[in-house]
Amino acid sequence: MADIEFKKVVKSYGDVKVIKSLDLSIKDKEFMVLVGPSGCGKSTTLRMIAGLEEITEGDLFIGERRVNNVHPKDRDVAMVFQSYALYPHMSVRENIAFGLRLRKMPKDEIDTLVDEAAKTLGLTPLLDRKPKALSGGQRQRVALGRAIVRKPSVFLFDEPLSNLDAELRVQMRAEIAKLQKRLAITSVYVTHDQVEAMTMGDRIAVLHDGDLRQVGTPLELYDTPANLFVAQFIGTPNMNVAKGNISEDGSKISIGSIEFAVPAKWKDACKANAGKPIHVGFRPEHTLPDDEHDWKNTARLSGHVDIVETLGHEVVVYVTIEGLDKRVIAKADVHKTPTPGDAMSVDVNLDELHLFDGETDERLSS
Amino acid sequence: MGRLRDWLYVQNTGGRLTTLLLFLPPALMIFTLFAILPIAESGLYSFYNWNGFVPLADGGRWVGLRNYEQILGHSVFHQAVWNTARIVIISMLIQLPLAMVLAMLIASKSAVNNVFRLIFFLPFILADVVAGLIWRFIYDGNYGLVAAITHLFGLEPFYPLADQSWAFNAILVVVVWKYFGYHMMIYIAGLQSVSDDLIEAAKLDGATPIQIALRIKLPLIWPAIRLSIFFSVIGALQFFEMAVPLVQSGGPGGSAHTIVTYLYEYGIVRSRVGFGSAVGVILFLVCVVFAFTYQRYVMASHK
Repeated sequence: MADIEFKKVVKSYGDVKVIKSLDLSIKDKEFMVLVGPSGCGKSTTLRMIAGLEEITEGDLFIGERRVNNVHPKDRDVAMVFQSYALYPHMSVRENIAFGLRLRKMPKDEIDTLVDEAAKTLGLTPLLDRKPKALSGGQRQRVALGRAIVRKPSVFLFDEPLSNLDAELRVQMRAEIAKLQKRLAITSVYVTHDQVEAMTMGDRIAVLHDGDLRQVGTPLELYDTPANLFVAQFIGTPNMNVAKGNISEDGSKISIGSIEFAVPAKWKDACKANAGKPIHVGFRPEHTLPDDEHDWKNTARLSGHVDIVETLGHEVVVYVTIEGLDKRVIAKADVHKTPTPGDAMSVDVNLDELHLFDGETDERLSS
Repeated sequence: MGRLRDWLYVQNTGGRLTTLLLFLPPALMIFTLFAILPIAESGLYSFYNWNGFVPLADGGRWVGLRNYEQILGHSVFHQAVWNTARIVIISMLIQLPLAMVLAMLIASKSAVNNVFRLIFFLPFILADVVAGLIWRFIYDGNYGLVAAITHLFGLEPFYPLADQSWAFNAILVVVVWKYFGYHMMIYIAGLQSVSDDLIEAAKLDGATPIQIALRIKLPLIWPAIRLSIFFSVIGALQFFEMAVPLVQSGGPGGSAHTIVTYLYEYGIVRSRVGFGSAVGVILFLVCVVFAFTYQRYVMASHK
């Protein structure tokens, strides 16, 4: 059992609080992704689990054990670094075996384990090479091998794929996720890439400015973002957000000069917040040209096309909307690609609307 | 003509020829004047018995290899070579390990470490002669630190620099004190280039601080170590200035001579320029052979 539990954990450097009271539980065998923009505290959080950063306040538990003052080597965690951190003077075999040799394991046992790990990761032909003679992807695998060979109770990944090219990244993403499921070891994975977070994590924790903004499965985060930050951070292209108001009787929402009736699922929330300013969010995939959908409950936005990005399977269109002073991102069919400057009307699927409090940025409770 | 112009044009790609013609002659001239010519001259003198006061043609007497024979058979020269070797041995066994331990302790950047670095580096900043003078006072059996110690324990006054079996050991202490800071700085520079990630990875792999030092840091700064070994051997071969204020004429019974003080004593002080030149030639050959072998077999190896 190796669940990880943060209880009111604070990390500060002098007067600067990088982590402000973090409460987070990571379940046994779970793949938890910590995601957020640079400087949000996600790496610091990971390094606190590893024991490479001291904890200023609060408690951190791995399993049943409080580890605040436990030395990294006694925490039974393995970490894959962004730089891979391979020992340059050792061969691949020695790199993978280093941790085992320090544990005074018999030599033949070490060899068996190293060979096994090498086989899992396809490193067998490279065992006698030095890291210098490996490609980025191969080094990445060696770093993984060094972590898995020890069969630790926790895996930590610090942006392990950010130095790889796009294709390799997609491939390694899948491999790491698969490996983690097979080994069934609690894993914490730090990334700033929300696609990595969405595709790999059992659950995702979104951090921003040292605060935990939301924890949940990828779909929970996508479908019901808890606040404006998560809403805009998760999903590509970004969610469209416009400032708006709820009418005094709570039955209508207006954004700019556009007004529409409150959709059914938000009725109660809008009653409770009647007359208040809100943020209205709608994703690009819920914003389509007026003749390309069969939605029932829509609001029409008209304007002209600004930028067109053709992705092959779809087109992303940036439309400047009249009466809104805002550019809205919509998707369109590849075969009806508009031209910049064209007049264009897009419909927003009101059943997929997200509403956030105009002051606190928190999601209205629906 | 056309082909020559083409050839010159190709050779001068990126201004190579121009650079060569402009920059080579001055450097070559200075090097010839101050390095090659003097070496060749002392090579020539080493075959003469000559006092250096009259022109070589008038006062010099060709003696062939006699000077070399005398030097190689001279017991004081043997002592000088052994003493030089002792400097090397002490450097390897005490000075460099000490420098390494201190470097590892104070390599990380902090205000306190800066103070320690300065303190340890201070002896190296002192001029060799000044350091020699300071230690002559320390070693003084009547007034120095040694006197204070013998007095404290109520012992007979002790004069280390005048004691045949102690004089050179006393010098070795000064050598270690004077130069460990320099080697420490080389190691600190090397240690600072070792990435923190590697140290952290080793920590997570379960390495203790000593294991990290021996199995990660040491191998990674091997280039700095072999450089510092090179400097310390060359330094030992050329060791001279600091010995002068400490012991005169090679100390009691010539027991504290090094190769260069031997050269100075028997070549310059006794006006035997030919003899001294021969010592110089031997020293030069030893240096060259060492430098080339070391470069070839140690510095060039990529471990």
